[in-house]
Amino acid sequence: MTVEVRPLGDKCNIKCRYCYQEGIRTAGNVPTRYDLDAIMATLDRLAEPFSLFGGEIMLTRRPDLERLMQLGFDRHGGVGMQTNGTLIEERDLELFRKYRVRIGISIDGPGPLNDARWAGSLPATRRATARIEAVIETLCREGMPPNVIVTLNRMNAAPDRLGVLCEWIGFLGSLGVRKLRLHLLEQDETEGGEGLPLTAQENLAALRRLRRLEQELPSVEFDIFAEMAAMLRGDDARTSCVFHACDPYATRAVVGVESDGRLGNCGRTNKDGVTHLRAGREAFDRQLSLYRTPQADGGCQGCRFFLACKGNCPGTAIGGDWRMRSIDCPVWFGLFEDIETELQANGETAISRSQQRSDLEAKMIAAWSIGDNPTLHSLLQQAEAP
Amino acid sequence: MQRISFSGPQARALWQPRFERLGEVALAVELEMVRQGRIPATLVWTGYDDIEALTERVRAIGLEAKPVKASLGYAADWPIEASIDEPKRLLDYAFLIGPAPYDVSIAEPAADDLEQTAMRSGYPACCAKSWAGHLRGGGCDPLANLLARDDRAAMPAHFALAVLGVGPVRHAPCSVHCSATRDCSRAFLDLGRELGFIDEIVWLEEIAGWATEASLVNGIAEITTAAFRCTWLSDEGASPHRRLRHTLAAPRPVKRKAASVELVGGTEILVELGTGFEAAGFASPFAMRSRFSAIVWEQTAALRRAASAVHVGCGDGLLLELIAQTRPKLKLYGLEEDAALAGLARQRLGASLPVLGGASLEALATLARLVPEGVDLAFVDPERLGSHEALAAIRVIAKSVIVIGTDRSLRRFKDMDTYAATMGLALLPGRAARVSAAIAAMDRLH
Ligand code: SF4
Ligand code: SF4
Repeated sequence: MTVEVRPLGDKCNIKCRYCYQEGIRTAGNVPTRYDLDAIMATLDRLAEPFSLFGGEIMLTRRPDLERLMQLGFDRHGGVGMQTNGTLIEERDLELFRKYRVRIGISIDGPGPLNDARWAGSLPATRRATARIEAVIETLCREGMPPNVIVTLNRMNAAPDRLGVLCEWIGFLGSLGVRKLRLHLLEQDETEGGEGLPLTAQENLAALRRLRRLEQELPSVEFDIFAEMAAMLRGDDARTSCVFHACDPYATRAVVGVESDGRLGNCGRTNKDGVTHLRAGREAFDRQLSLYRTPQADGGCQGCRFFLACKGNCPGTAIGGDWRMRSIDCPVWFGLFEDIETELQANGETAISRSQQRSDLEAKMIAAWSIGDNPTLHSLLQQAEAP
Repeated sequence: MQRISFSGPQARALWQPRFERLGEVALAVELEMVRQGRIPATLVWTGYDDIEALTERVRAIGLEAKPVKASLGYAADWPIEASIDEPKRLLDYAFLIGPAPYDVSIAEPAADDLEQTAMRSGYPACCAKSWAGHLRGGGCDPLANLLARDDRAAMPAHFALAVLGVGPVRHAPCSVHCSATRDCSRAFLDLGRELGFIDEIVWLEEIAGWATEASLVNGIAEITTAAFRCTWLSDEGASPHRRLRHTLAAPRPVKRKAASVELVGGTEILVELGTGFEAAGFASPFAMRSRFSAIVWEQTAALRRAASAVHVGCGDGLLLELIAQTRPKLKLYGLEEDAALAGLARQRLGASLPVLGGASLEALATLARLVPEGVDLAFVDPERLGSHEALAAIRVIAKSVIVIGTDRSLRRFKDMDTYAATMGLALLPGRAARVSAAIAAMDRLH
């Protein structure tokens, strides 16, 4: 489970053209105050490692931020932080070091490649981007290389820009960045996002190219490919939420601790500007429905990768309706196919090709029907037990 | 089994207890309807532990509760110990409640007469017909038909909320236009008021005005109002190709306009990222841009205090552009010997920012004439500058000199301190000098 602390909810200092939280901000549903004691009490109760999140977490008052960092450090030996990087200053570096803050910075590329992360005007956008680039280099020089989150879109991964993106990633590797997370652009309500998403073919081509790049750059790792391979091996202990049968009414993988300390859902399915509270109980209606719904109707029926993919993140569902499979299905399918072929060529069995697949699917469906969500790993172990 | 997710803490604080209360009131009103003979009977579901209380209550008003069905409750709601020791607690029980003694047609309904059965528990004839048809077609969620309909009319909130059993609609309406359902609903509200449930009826009237979105997609139903959203596994329903979403919803947030997406290709992008990186001492355009960005970031305070600055050896003007983005009011100058790069710098920076060409010493002399009062900051890579005279000349013009570290110099000298020392310069003490640093006063120059 990932616990995301969001003292200021979705409040942010920039306005990425594609941001999934933009609906919330446009609807005016952004808290202006927060109750730090309530947030800390909730974190105490959850007793789980957490990440400082937003919106933009660096908008939080520094003394409050420090208290949260200290709590993370005291209880869990460190704390994650997801930031756009534009508000980090020299004095913050000391805090990061002192409290072992693991920083994740979102940037789509250098200079113009990051223009989709819009800051209100072109000069402001470029200024913000330069600050992010500066912070990445500085953190690397300080021995705290950040993880970098890149969202693929037309600005950075259109066919004639992809080469530039790859070279830049190579440069990040030379600076000391080790981990990159790749996101596909989310469909949302912001008109500014129009024209930015790549087609499914372009996304797939971009990811394939990046996968080759990963093989060429041994020091850099894109977690998505390793996770997909792990899912196909049935080893889902550490893979991310999108592969774990997410219930948008009670996202288990991601829990938000909101400004007043209450628990919120992962915001990626809030398309109408409302951050819904968690439902009292988790259920797997989406997966049950996708499994039996024909692909022509937005389901995943008959897909051999279903055990691994499960229709992917409901926040990326076709038409913004969480009941449908991910709009990025062709991309996932294509990548799963590539990885499956490689696993097979290496003499490994991908669950998509395993003789146990239908049996595992039946077990998973039976478990979901009674509200349970076992790991693939545990089902495989049961199957192998004498 | 429906799951509710409220739209926020206020909505939950207000409506969760109200829904619970409305559920109780709905039962009371319905029992009264049966007692008064307005409807022949009603079907009530209850958990094992509440059976006794229900039968007592029903008996007290002269009615009878007849168990008709038991079915599994939702697994996730089972306490673990119950599932092992007391399977009966895993079940939900349906009771038919009617006047004692039962009319035979109520007590033993003909299995094939679904319509009559529905009517006996309060369905209007049209809704009973529709429901029976749905059951005969293999459906089991009475609301599925309504949610999957091919009718663009808005869904009245009371109709959609029938699923929660909170009143005033206590059956599955046959259509959004069903006048019989509206009549039943009015009768429910009137009787509720008569029975003294004044507040509760006001709440229900408030709900009537709610914008409600209701849909059935691939067998999952969802109802969304401003206060909550609610979902349950329903029947298959229509395929999404034919599905419609029925909305009387509040207007969606106004879409934010942003500048349209303009794209230039990879080659132009590389030029924009930075040209002449080798000459400037960098391994790639990315390294140059990143470093210059880091220099601007490191020198934020110095730039904030300054009113003017020069980049000696400004290449294609990238550092000056980055400075201008941060401090647009700063008066900036560029010096570049390479004519091609100076041309690119002029292109990048525009006419208002002077880029002086020629050899450094001459260019510095021109700058001194252009700005007789001098500039506040000079950014310089001493290694590229090559001569101490030029550095001395810069120090005369500039109040403060910032040495910048390139890939070339940092690879050779490892860090800024060693670099400066090798060049015979002393760095000012103070802030971390990772990739840039101010040098000390003139008299400390060797
Ligand atoms: S909505 Fe998507 S991103 Fe959020 S927890 Fe679910 S799978 Fe993860
Ligand atoms: S690859 Fe596509 S069809 Fe297959 S499970 Fe994933 S989303 Fe569904």
